[in-house]
Amino acid sequence: MIPHDILTLYTAKAVEYIFALSFLFLFIPFWKYAMGEAHPALQPAMQPARQKIADRVPDLVEWFRLARDVAYHPGHAWARAAGDGRVTVGLDDFAQKLVGPMKAIELPPVGTRLAAGEPAWRLRVDGKAVDMISPVDGVVTEVNPAVLASTDVARHDPYGEGWLLKLDAPRFEANRRGLLTGKLARTWLEEATNALRLRMAPDLGLALQDGGMPVDGIAHALDEEHWDEVAREFLLS
Amino acid sequence: MRSAAHTLTAQSSWFNEKVLLGLTPKTYVRSLLTPGNLVAGLILAIGIPVIVYRFVYGLGAATNLTQETPWGIWIGFDMLCGVALAAGGFTLASTVYIFGLKDYHAIVRPAILTAFLGYLFAVLGLLCDLGRPWNLPIPMIYSFGTTSVMFEVGWCVMLYTTVLFLEFSPAALEWLGIGEKLRQMLVKATIGLTVAAVLLSTLHQSSLGALFLLAPTKIHPLWYSPFIPVYFYISAIAAGLSMVIVESALSHRAFQERVDHHVDMAPLTVGLARAASVVLFSYCFLKLQGIADGGHWALLLTPMGYWYLFEVLGFAAVPSLLFAHGARTRNVRLVRWTAAWTVLGVIVNRLNVSVVAMNWDLVPHYVPSWMEVMTSITLVTMGVLIFRWIVNRMPILRELPQYRNAH
Amino acid sequence: MKLSRRTFFKVSGAAGAMTLASAPKASASPVRVPGAEMKAVLVDTTKCVGCRACEAACAEANGLAEPAMAGDERVFAARRATDQRTFTVVNRFEDASGSEARFVKRQCMHCVEPACASACLARALDKTPGGPVVYHPDRCLGCRYCMVACPFDVPKYEYEKAAPFVRKCTFCAERQATGLEPACTTVCPSGALTFGTRGALLEEAKRRLYAADAKYVPHIYGETEAGGTSWMYISDRPLANLGFKDNVPHVAYSSLAQPALAAVPFILTLFPPLLMGLYTFSQRRAGTEAESEEAPHA
Repeated sequence: MIPHDILTLYTAKAVEYIFALSFLFLFIPFWKYAMGEAHPALQPAMQPARQKIADRVPDLVEWFRLARDVAYHPGHAWARAAGDGRVTVGLDDFAQKLVGPMKAIELPPVGTRLAAGEPAWRLRVDGKAVDMISPVDGVVTEVNPAVLASTDVARHDPYGEGWLLKLDAPRFEANRRGLLTGKLARTWLEEATNALRLRMAPDLGLALQDGGMPVDGIAHALDEEHWDEVAREFLLS
Repeated sequence: MRSAAHTLTAQSSWFNEKVLLGLTPKTYVRSLLTPGNLVAGLILAIGIPVIVYRFVYGLGAATNLTQETPWGIWIGFDMLCGVALAAGGFTLASTVYIFGLKDYHAIVRPAILTAFLGYLFAVLGLLCDLGRPWNLPIPMIYSFGTTSVMFEVGWCVMLYTTVLFLEFSPAALEWLGIGEKLRQMLVKATIGLTVAAVLLSTLHQSSLGALFLLAPTKIHPLWYSPFIPVYFYISAIAAGLSMVIVESALSHRAFQERVDHHVDMAPLTVGLARAASVVLFSYCFLKLQGIADGGHWALLLTPMGYWYLFEVLGFAAVPSLLFAHGARTRNVRLVRWTAAWTVLGVIVNRLNVSVVAMNWDLVPHYVPSWMEVMTSITLVTMGVLIFRWIVNRMPILRELPQYRNAH
Repeated sequence: MKLSRRTFFKVSGAAGAMTLASAPKASASPVRVPGAEMKAVLVDTTKCVGCRACEAACAEANGLAEPAMAGDERVFAARRATDQRTFTVVNRFEDASGSEARFVKRQCMHCVEPACASACLARALDKTPGGPVVYHPDRCLGCRYCMVACPFDVPKYEYEKAAPFVRKCTFCAERQATGLEPACTTVCPSGALTFGTRGALLEEAKRRLYAADAKYVPHIYGETEAGGTSWMYISDRPLANLGFKDNVPHVAYSSLAQPALAAVPFILTLFPPLLMGLYTFSQRRAGTEAESEEAPHA
């Protein structure tokens, strides 16, 4: 390291002070820039994690996500009250993993009257289709356009963005008594998982990732030919 | 629900449940046959014999190190980059536990795991590089070279790896479901461990830079500066933040089933980007001050000078602006690519100081041997595999329900 | 470094005593010279004839193989450096103007404050008070930081071995311990190598440099390079033309790392209160935020 001689030192120090002052001048506008928003009005409100969304947290029961704020039908559909007599329904994580990547989900149009225990919508995969049972009585008021556009959202976020229908369901409280929540739902899902696991005989060549996660389309892996029969067994349709 | 008549024949021993992810051994092994695993297996199949070869036949047989260039990529990449990119551990821990930004709690554990494995990788690289690694305990136990920056680095790294292990261990205890008292003790000690982590990281991130203070005649003047320790420290912070962005992006893609889906990564990513932007902005000015202090303006117009400008402008100034812009427009994709570029930039910087600008005018200049490169790739691969093994089993990306509010 | 302070007190003590004892004496009191009492060697390149007896003696004293091409002048065709089996080499430097070639012996410079010793984390390389920088193989980790630090590229590594050591000139520390001179200075026939104490040798060197008919370049290489070395060189040719690096800082290498090391205790002391202060502050803020959040729901 060559030490400065006194003459170049003056220049060097002058330059350094200029740089330091420039930095201080530029720092405040840069901070404002880095911390600001490009289009403040259009930004969706960000929810701090501390907010009470504990109920929205999907637990992981073995391989399947279980949302805590919905009520489950044994045929693997769920329902959530949206307030003022409206109910949101969808398919659960078990159902979408059982069936695998879907070509389409055929949803009933607005105005259709659904009955609890009766087929409500259809999951279409490669030419075959399986129905799912409606968890509640009601009239369809809204159909999720995102799901009609692509079934991926129903697969990645079945309890949130992947909702299927919104219904007018005045009898929801009564329907609710036939649905599973809390510990019961948990036990039910564990049993369903066990049933699946027992079907996966050791000598079955399942190509599992080292994630222990069954591939999408467990039904297909269990029985390629008759996967729809396996699916209907679990979906009760 | 109609259930098929069945008898419970599924084995569910502890080993099968915990280690084999609930599968039978045969099924588990078959599940490992993926293309990614085959590539990893190939790397290990070549790399591990290379490492053995290095230890049997010596450094001369395995590396291109010379008497003029005693340090190569095992120091420049394995050691320096391993430590720099593991800075996410202390930056995230201090963000959550000291600055109290609880929103980032969801990504503290993966950051600490990344840091822990990063340091393990750095230490393993060091063990490959040392000529007599079995003497490693000597400066720890009885012969203290206290005038040496290397001594301080060694001690700090050893202590910090221990701290990282302690910070990581609650996750392991939760997975095993044992040692609840110990786990609670460790959780109580979080703030103390975090203070220790920040302290030790500050010391050795900067000291790794200070190592090069003893080579003023060998490193190109643009990279040699009495402020190298400060540069390494500040760039390590930016590296840590960027690495957390990259790692969380990759983890959430690769481990979708393991992730807590209620955690929205977008605001966290954007928040980290804002911090990284300011850090990099300041870093650029620090570099400017360094040039002024050294009076090396004329050197900027040489080939090495152009490379220096590319490193500072391309890998620090540009990412600073891109991070800020990406944060302002909530463009998570832009932020993630900028983060990856910044990670690359830190690697470039560390390699520049230790390998490229070191003996920069020596002909022929050092070039790593294929065995050195293979060893580094092997160690990185092992780190990634261990990361995946742990994430697939332990509550890193998600919380176990029974411990939800316990930390 | 402890050593130079001790030496400083020694020298200034002696100087003080001398001034007190003999004020009217004509001879000047010694200026504070780093390592004045340490053993050193003055190498006068104008006297070296290139016989390489020093190389042979070194090899014998250290149990090394005989020097390459002993007695063969063609060895000087290529520039040689020391290596793990050769602790000293003599190189020949032709002069552009056609006058006599000069021969220069190179080996470890045994600096007063060695970069290698200050760099070594295990004190495997250590400066002894007598002068030699010695190597303790049992402590060495093989990190090779000494090789990075040395401005003269002296330490050499046994890369070909599975259990390698650092190798360099020992200044015949063991011989010196028994009162002998190093092997090389003992056999030098031409008087190019003069063994003595550093202070005295510096005075001798200056005497030669500034003598009436002196032809020397007025520079003693090693007087201040790297803070001062024990092996010092004088010549009638510019030393940069004799293979000597002219960019070596004129400060002890330990001073280069000093600021970084000095910061460590300060960081250790100041960071905990600083961080805990931030922690407390952020806790308070979170506390007041939570209160103001809960209030409307009360």
